[in-house]
Amino acid sequence: MVQPRPSVPLASPWEFPVATEHLLSNGMRVLLYHRPGQHITSTRLLVPSPIAVEPRALEGVAMMVARTMDEGTRSHTADEMAELFELSGIAYGAGYGARGLTLETDATATRSAQAWALITECLQEPAFPEEEVSRHVRQRLAEIEHEAASPDARAAKEWAATFYDQASRAARPAGGSADTVSLVHSADCARFHAQWVRPDRATVVVAGELDEARTLRDLDATLGSWQTEGAAPEDDSLAAVVVDAPTRVRFVHRPGAVQTEIYLGSFGPDRTVEGGWAPYPALGFALGGSPGARLDAVLREEKGYTYGFRAAFRPRDVGGTFIVSGSVRSDVTVEATALTLEILDAARGGFTAEETRAATDYIGKTAPARYATADAVADEALMLQAVGLGTDFVSSYLAQLATLTPDDLDAAWATWADEPRTIVLVGDAEAHADGIRALGIGEVTVVD
Amino acid sequence: MRPHYPIATHRLDNGLRVVISTDHSVPTVAVNLWVGVGSRHEQPGRTGLAHLFEHLMFQGSANVAEGEHFSALLAQGAQLNATTWVDRTNYFEVVPTGALELALWLEADRQGRLLPALTQENLDNQRDVVKEEKRQRYDNVPYGTAYAELTALVFPEGHPYHHTTIGSMEDLDAASLTDVRDFYTRHYRPDNTVVTLVGDVEPESGFALVAKYFDELENPAGAGDEVLAPPLPPLSDRPRFERTGDVPSDRLYLGFRLPVGGTQDFVRADLSFDVLAGLATSRLYRRLVRREQMVTHVSRNAGARVDGTSMGALVVDVADGVPVEQVEDVVGEELRRLATEPPTESEMAAVVADVERWWLQSLAQPDERADVISGNTLLYDDPEHLNTYLDEVVAVSSEDIAKSADTLLDPASAATVVYRREGK
Repeated sequence: MVQPRPSVPLASPWEFPVATEHLLSNGMRVLLYHRPGQHITSTRLLVPSPIAVEPRALEGVAMMVARTMDEGTRSHTADEMAELFELSGIAYGAGYGARGLTLETDATATRSAQAWALITECLQEPAFPEEEVSRHVRQRLAEIEHEAASPDARAAKEWAATFYDQASRAARPAGGSADTVSLVHSADCARFHAQWVRPDRATVVVAGELDEARTLRDLDATLGSWQTEGAAPEDDSLAAVVVDAPTRVRFVHRPGAVQTEIYLGSFGPDRTVEGGWAPYPALGFALGGSPGARLDAVLREEKGYTYGFRAAFRPRDVGGTFIVSGSVRSDVTVEATALTLEILDAARGGFTAEETRAATDYIGKTAPARYATADAVADEALMLQAVGLGTDFVSSYLAQLATLTPDDLDAAWATWADEPRTIVLVGDAEAHADGIRALGIGEVTVVD
Repeated sequence: MRPHYPIATHRLDNGLRVVISTDHSVPTVAVNLWVGVGSRHEQPGRTGLAHLFEHLMFQGSANVAEGEHFSALLAQGAQLNATTWVDRTNYFEVVPTGALELALWLEADRQGRLLPALTQENLDNQRDVVKEEKRQRYDNVPYGTAYAELTALVFPEGHPYHHTTIGSMEDLDAASLTDVRDFYTRHYRPDNTVVTLVGDVEPESGFALVAKYFDELENPAGAGDEVLAPPLPPLSDRPRFERTGDVPSDRLYLGFRLPVGGTQDFVRADLSFDVLAGLATSRLYRRLVRREQMVTHVSRNAGARVDGTSMGALVVDVADGVPVEQVEDVVGEELRRLATEPPTESEMAAVVADVERWWLQSLAQPDERADVISGNTLLYDDPEHLNTYLDEVVAVSSEDIAKSADTLLDPASAATVVYRREGK
């Protein structure tokens, strides 16, 4: 006999783990998340110098600094550094995003102090050997070509270049473009590092099974010893200014492409938005967060045009975007574009109680599993740190989420629904650009 | 350090294997099912059927409406999905503890009672979705079909691993409702399935819950004992495939036949690939990327397979202006050198330290732990593998690596796929 469907009891309330906060002797902030039972200790470090401070002619230098800080120091060659990391099984990575330089290590608990000593060496005394910098420049140039060949990366790049004003850094790739990256040399990396990579406003997040006193002692002996000279420079470069223009379409021509990548977006809120952040992840889920969400219910499950569409509000530190993306069979390019816009426009008609509950339940109840591991906790803490928030933000928006009604979702959607859209298509423009023009959604420009 | 996660096992009367690993640190349970069916079980002319079938498992069953499996679990805060590979299909969700019973009920309904809900309309719709998945992931991206081409060279025509899991457009078009029904009856059986629970559940209560919902599932008649293929010898005819096209750079793929999974021989071969290309200090990376700068990137990929022979690959992005043949020569030199110059103590130490760290880091996730348990229980009858794997790794000596390279990784035993950038 088939068993009856079981009912589900209410889940117990959950809050994001709370950090203890400390200062190292050089002024660096420390956030410690003690996570019992975690065998790996995850460390995330942020130096908050926005990427907009890069010289315009040398864009990409910041990412080159991130990628070559470990490629040789005053004390060790590039090969020796790689051995020191790898003999201890320390996974090391560094990158440069909109809000600054990030370094990360993951290591077994017994080796985490060694990891901190090594990243201190990278931060304090990088040598930027010319042969290593030029090798990374060539690798970055190859990477740029690979990005241009990938439909989703190509679409995202074209979108930013159209949506943001050319005077602002966000209009161009964080890792720089071929014409700027190819000019980067060792001396440029050294100069950028000396000016902008500094401990005074940096934060380090450590998550794992921690002995707090010992962790602080080890951190102070390593990262706490990092010193720089002089005062931090100031910079007021434009980060992300949105072009004031009506809805427009850029069609990137790919002769004979079997699919068209659709990537559309508009201006949106950041996490400090009036009325609270909680409605926005819920809207993203209801529109494009599951096979039952509005976009996939039609484009995937009803029509079979796509493997899947995604929609999400993506906050920056100030302002943000709302992005919808997915790829469709080439011969339905026009119809799928029209349907996508219809579905978004229909959202003004309001969200149902069922949609609201499905979204808030999903986002709220998945939180314990999403933050189960040390690396997930550390990643979230660092990401929020980069926009000036603490992890109490997670607990507070989850609390607001539980109270949301369809009216809250409707009000949040209405606030941003009239923003003009930038629409990028990557596909066979010769076959479909005229059809897109005939939709009358805005000026259509075909680019190669 | 070594993990020691608790493992409790049980078998229902219908043959379903159940494994439970209790961990109360998070109020969730990872539910993970492995079914012993993958693309290697597909018949000629019906490639892609195992994966297409996986999609149909989300389209409703006797007591669950279309799309409801997803929506009912998402609404309880579950993260869920399924994947198909050569040897198996896995279905999984991480649920808050209170939703465990609902998850088991939903799984049991589709694992045992799918056919009443199967319709031509669902089949046609998901066929279209899978074709878009194929276009998005393989046909419309640079090098998207290279791995399929390499696999077809490594495994001969007619071998269960010769074709890819995504299948061909023609075969996807040809799949009928009858094919799909027969496939389900033949492969979706409790005696061909493992259920693993990891997290906030004790063994006794977990076993009782699984029994409550899965005990009534029966094994349809018609599946005989399966005979696995004998191991294939290393390749000897240097098969090669070249394509010139719209790719951003020249790229070289080398494929090798490796020992069957679940053996110490496979572990040795796997670590040989790490010594060659797993790390920044690995031989190929150090020489080709860092020192001679002939390539911009090198990576390795070795995956255990159960049906006689596994496969390993090296993937090399050739730098602008460097002839592919020159890179092939240097890679060949390094492959031969590994056979004659075993890894040094520090090369071995780096590889072991790296495996230890990523193994522990991936096991930190309850869903990953559950997947490792299900897989090793289903394919190798080894539910304790997550606790013993690092011992197997440490037991590999540098002489083992040299021997493995000598017998398996001779450049003359490689299948080669080359993509050349047009107009160069």
